Amino acid sequence: MMAKLWRAAGPVLVLLAAACSKPPAPAPTTPAPTAAQTEAARVAADSAAARAASARRDSVAAQARADSLARADSLVRANRERTRADSVRLQVQSPSADTAPQMAASGLPVADSTALADPIHFDYDKSEVGTADQPRLDRKLAILAAHPRLEIRIAGNCDERGSDEYNLALGERRAAAAKRYLVAHGLAAARVEIVSYGKERPLDPGHTEDAWARNRRDDFVVTKGAN
Amino acid sequence: MRRGLLVAALAVVAVPGALKSQDSTAAAPGGVRVGITYTPGTRPSVTVLPIATAAAIPDSVRSILQRDLDYSDRFDIVIPPSIVAVQGAAPNYAALTALGTDLAVAVVPAAGAAPGGQIEIQLHDVRSGSIKNRMTLRLPGGGEALRLAVHRASDEVVRWVTGSAGIAATTILYVADGRLWRVDPDDAGRAGVPAAGRPALSPAWSPDGRSIAYTAFVPSGRPLVLEDLASGSRGVVPGTEYGVNITPEFSPDGRTLAFAHGDENGTDIYLYDVARRCCVTRLTLGRYYDNLSPTWSPDGRRIAFISTRAGSPQLYVMSADGSGQEALARFDYGFTGQTNGPEWSPDGQSIAFHREVGGVPQIFVLDLATRAVRQITGEGRNEDPTWAPDGRHLAFVSSRSGTRQLWIVDLETGRMRPIVTTGGARLPAWSPRRTFSSEAG
Repeated sequence: MMAKLWRAAGPVLVLLAAACSKPPAPAPTTPAPTAAQTEAARVAADSAAARAASARRDSVAAQARADSLARADSLVRANRERTRADSVRLQVQSPSADTAPQMAASGLPVADSTALADPIHFDYDKSEVGTADQPRLDRKLAILAAHPRLEIRIAGNCDERGSDEYNLALGERRAAAAKRYLVAHGLAAARVEIVSYGKERPLDPGHTEDAWARNRRDDFVVTKGAN
Repeated sequence: MRRGLLVAALAVVAVPGALKSQDSTAAAPGGVRVGITYTPGTRPSVTVLPIATAAAIPDSVRSILQRDLDYSDRFDIVIPPSIVAVQGAAPNYAALTALGTDLAVAVVPAAGAAPGGQIEIQLHDVRSGSIKNRMTLRLPGGGEALRLAVHRASDEVVRWVTGSAGIAATTILYVADGRLWRVDPDDAGRAGVPAAGRPALSPAWSPDGRSIAYTAFVPSGRPLVLEDLASGSRGVVPGTEYGVNITPEFSPDGRTLAFAHGDENGTDIYLYDVARRCCVTRLTLGRYYDNLSPTWSPDGRRIAFISTRAGSPQLYVMSADGSGQEALARFDYGFTGQTNGPEWSPDGQSIAFHREVGGVPQIFVLDLATRAVRQITGEGRNEDPTWAPDGRHLAFVSSRSGTRQLWIVDLETGRMRPIVTTGGARLPAWSPRRTFSSEAG
């Protein structure tokens, strides 16, 4: 019975013949943040969009599911209009640029950027998303819905206990768990990639329960669409 | 009586310069010397005779030979006090007998050889006063090639005496600071191995020792890289361009690479046809759980592996076609911790792995015939065992000295000694015997 199952699984991975002779692709370089001149305008636009988006999260999530190009275009147009309006208002209300909303390097408002990068944590040797972390993922969903061009990478990490190799599998499972949650709540799967660092990238080099708890985490990184 | 003589002989070792290459090991923690931990009388005692100055053979040949025979853990090494004349024109059998020596190894110029020409290595039976075995070889000028040539000769001496070759002519790959390194089991020849990605993890040897496979951390993923050691040419295993791809292991015939590929659906074991450079076959079917760390039986018919299908990672086995999957060492009273890092022994009779005891990993060996599990280590964290080709030595990672480094244990005697004394070494992979010379440099 079990044996039948295994055989039924059959060859699954795509066959890429002769790939052996090719060297691995060179490491792609991370594009530096650009378009600094539009930053102030974009901040205003983005925060407005985020406010609007969180108010009508459900409908936006549905639209994100549809992932329609037309919809994305119209959002961009709407953003541009808001940008103009907000920048005018900004000039009127706050003559000093210092009082403008703070910008993150990603081009998102700091609050959004921070919320997007906010890690979630796991129990020892577990990969289930805890209820305490679900609001963190919901917040990311809202921001991602408001910025349909944003794409993210979820990186699963483990504490120093357990074997080097098993932790790579566990880290992958942790990243996959967060992705499953986001996709189940409306995010297009194509906008999320996952990667595992195992225990190769601890945030906290300590050997305490606290350090381990901090290191059992998913990191969230914007890979596309910011700025 | 013999024991006393052995201890007396040990004093000679402590003389500075008497055996320079062994000083660090003799002083290291756990570097227990002959005659102290071993049961006397169970192994032949051997003396490697001093090389006559007139022979124009580097004395390093003698010290390498002696160290290799010592590290084979199959002999009691008897070092003659310098005042005892053990060799004139021929070995002084009477003096050697008085020292308690059963066997003597002599290194002499081959008959009729010019200075710097071929040498002969002789194995003398001291009791009968005769030469039992001899071999001639040409010594390379020095360096790595010289060491490898002497290691091979040592392995042959071990084979003359015990019937199976030694393990001196091998090397161990490991990971330190995210890079691949190699070191010989006598702690010599340490060198970096260029590899794609950083870190590069889980190096594995092809059975012919010519190529390796490993996990490369690159920005686009965690592909498996196949690398030819001589040419340095590399390729990515098809299907491993995405997801996490770990724990490669060549089949005993070298034609197939087993590995674990993980993605959103879990981590599973796959086979890649190295010989045909195509065709990836899936062996396990995980649903949000992990199957990893495949290790082949020497006949290539079975694969042991780690699975989390029942919760924490434990040891399983299946046929090489994926059928007949069953727990192998899962129910073990008193030990419920994670099991990882399995490696099937070269003789096929056991599987070494590490398992957590009270949250701390220790090395275990499972006897497949009886399913009995034997704990090998107990001090510090001990992980990732890898078998020497002789099936009686294991290299593993241990923190017992306070820093994580590689150690070697002889399962027959329990003798342990450290190698790679710099910290952070991990994921060792013991090579097959080096029967080729293309990578000697």
